[in-house]
Amino acid sequence: MPDIRRIAVERVARLMEFAERHASERPELARDAVLLAMRIARKARVRIPYRYRRLFCRKCGTPFLTPGSLRVRVRARRSTHVVITCLRCGYVKRIPALREKTK
Amino acid sequence: MVKGPTAKSILRHEFLGLRVRAEPRGGGMVHEGEVVGETRNMLRILRDDGRIIMLPKNSYTFIFTLPRGEKVKVEGWAIIGRPEERLKKRYRRW
Repeated sequence: MPDIRRIAVERVARLMEFAERHASERPELARDAVLLAMRIARKARVRIPYRYRRLFCRKCGTPFLTPGSLRVRVRARRSTHVVITCLRCGYVKRIPALREKTK
Repeated sequence: MVKGPTAKSILRHEFLGLRVRAEPRGGGMVHEGEVVGETRNMLRILRDDGRIIMLPKNSYTFIFTLPRGEKVKVEGWAIIGRPEERLKKRYRRW
């Protein structure tokens, strides 16, 4: 009997791919898919695969797949880092940019 | 490694994004489209003509088209439950 975890990871991947597909025309559907993916990952205690992790806002679940959903800036104040602001809920995520040569 | 839902794992897998054909159990209008939403008792389907409709799981028999191409016929009452709850076991029913 296949493991719940494995199914969960597959489901998360398919949900994110669904969100990607529908993000431009039907953003509400895409956001619901992202929220479901987060819930599944939480229930099964699996991590969202790395390549999907940056694609959405952790707070409100809005996918960052259309222009107008996020703001990206590069700041060098304390240390060089990338600032991503969700334009729906105002949540700010910072990504330290170590290895400044290749990002 | 098994990738994607199989006929056996469809009960615990994700429906969102699958093509589906919904036939009412008492007879009536058949709907074909893609699954775009799910709640405890309903499936939300984007019909091929562009309309989004919600159908009660209890009253329909669904035929899902898996990504590999196979089709699985599932009785609606067998998939009742919120999607995240369906994931962690529910029953040994086919």
